[in-house]
Amino acid sequence: MTTVVEPPKLGAPDRAIGRGGGTSGWLVVAGQECRDLWKSGRGPLLVFCFSVLMSGITYLASTNQALNFLERREAANLLLQFAVAVGVLLTLIVSADGISGERERGTLESLLVTPVSRRAIIFGKLFAALSLWFAASLVSVPYVWVLARGMGILARALILGLVVGTIVAVGLGSIGLLISAACNSNKTSLAASAFLLLILFAPTQLPSGLPQGWFFDVLVRANPVDAALSYLSTQLLQGGPWTEDLSYLISPLLTAVLAGGGLILFGPRLIRLRAGGVE
Amino acid sequence: MADITVEAVHLTKKYRERTAIEDVSFTARSNDVVGLLGPNGAGKTTTIRILTTVLTPTSGDFRIAGRSPKAPGEIRRRVGVLPESSGYPGFQTGLEHLSYHARLYGLSSSSARDVADSLLTDVGLADRARSRISGYSRGMRQRLGIARALVNDPAVVFLDEPNLGLDPAGQSQILKIVRHVAQERGATVILSTHALSEVEEVCSQVLILNQGRLVASGSMGDVMRTAVVERSAQLRVPSHLIEPARMAIEKLPELTIEATDGRPDLLKIGLRTASATSSDESAQRLNAAVIAVAAANVPVLSYEMEGARLSDAFLQMTKKAVR
Repeated sequence: MTTVVEPPKLGAPDRAIGRGGGTSGWLVVAGQECRDLWKSGRGPLLVFCFSVLMSGITYLASTNQALNFLERREAANLLLQFAVAVGVLLTLIVSADGISGERERGTLESLLVTPVSRRAIIFGKLFAALSLWFAASLVSVPYVWVLARGMGILARALILGLVVGTIVAVGLGSIGLLISAACNSNKTSLAASAFLLLILFAPTQLPSGLPQGWFFDVLVRANPVDAALSYLSTQLLQGGPWTEDLSYLISPLLTAVLAGGGLILFGPRLIRLRAGGVE
Repeated sequence: MADITVEAVHLTKKYRERTAIEDVSFTARSNDVVGLLGPNGAGKTTTIRILTTVLTPTSGDFRIAGRSPKAPGEIRRRVGVLPESSGYPGFQTGLEHLSYHARLYGLSSSSARDVADSLLTDVGLADRARSRISGYSRGMRQRLGIARALVNDPAVVFLDEPNLGLDPAGQSQILKIVRHVAQERGATVILSTHALSEVEEVCSQVLILNQGRLVASGSMGDVMRTAVVERSAQLRVPSHLIEPARMAIEKLPELTIEATDGRPDLLKIGLRTASATSSDESAQRLNAAVIAVAAANVPVLSYEMEGARLSDAFLQMTKKAVR
């Protein structure tokens, strides 16, 4: 049965509120996402675990002379690599929960019906995920100081760690959000992100005595995490200018640009709801 | 006459081979409470998601408060939605949650807080405004959800199963708020529900969807008239006077008396030519039984018409899906 549709009466009530005057949508979302992350206890717990690991590594590297075969410079490099790797890992974990978690908790639809664009929602979530990386880098400052002080590499280590880590965190955070938007369940999203982490981090754990050659070099440079850590390592251990071996940063930068661009372009289309009821 | 706030024209949504809704057209006006009914999978949620711009229709068009979906942000500024099975962040307080949503509509922090405070009072949650949502009962969460749907003073409010899982007291509170939203705020409320008694209680208009198609729309009376539901009646009299009552009814040639499931005080009355008559006419003819029994000096203890409720019309119109 169809009903004859009357034309709308002119002068229908215009009740839209809040045009302008308030904060940008993405900033509101980012602010709330950060509050949710840090007030819910998830952020503090992850940073606490991170700081426990950092404490352990720093303690072993600086005090246990019998077991510690590393020079202090090497120890500082190891710690910085660990800080960047784990800090970025935390970003990926949080972003992997960004969309699929909301979908599963039933809070996504109420966000989607607000005037804030899907792109702004994604951007706000990425910002919140990155806040965990920035917190991790802040927490790592005293640990790096303990091992790098007095060698003239402290400032260099902290700045390089922050810059390179941020590039990798933007790339992996964007990938995490893309995975989260594409996956129907939070478990799938977290599992897929964990698998990605395994692929990216496994090569960084290989012993350095493995055969080296052009193929191995390509593998290192193609892996954004491995390449970023290699750049840090080169910079701290060899002490050349920061422009040296910049080619290591191609894959981290490409990942950040491509994943970030993909998130901006395709993220909004990937955000979808589950069918209502049994539909 | 009130302004048209919702105008849906031949809306269709298809997912590959599956059709979620097809050719759905209707209008609603301010102050209307429109019951959106249908069995599971009928397309109610899809219809709401299209009208709130969350989904794009495959074909058809619509207007919300005169605004086109070509500018979805303009529509979203004018609608409020309580989604089905809506979730809430348990660690936020009610006040924080509403303030956040108000800010998503562009309000400043202080204005958002004022709006949140006022709405929490409206839905009876003022005393729990600063409590975490994790401590709220289901009814309180639903009221918070309705308040959230009102933060932008919408022209149209979509409520998808707002009474799901609530006890009778909670349901009654929600219906009171629904009435208030339509009457005092002048909004159009689209109420998707399975509870037909709720619709009878608060809705001025009804839309019935079945397998993605709109099978009935209009006022409650219009829908009841559209549905050709066979009417019958149950008459209860003192058990020792059942025979005089039966004899009085048997004198009426248009009525039949059916089996009474062993109840000595109950008479089931039917029509001989039910399908040939309109529902109003059927009701009048059945009422003759009461007059006849009363005329025979038999006291009528109760009289109930069957087939005259919205649920009867609903079941009749959606029987294919129920089978």
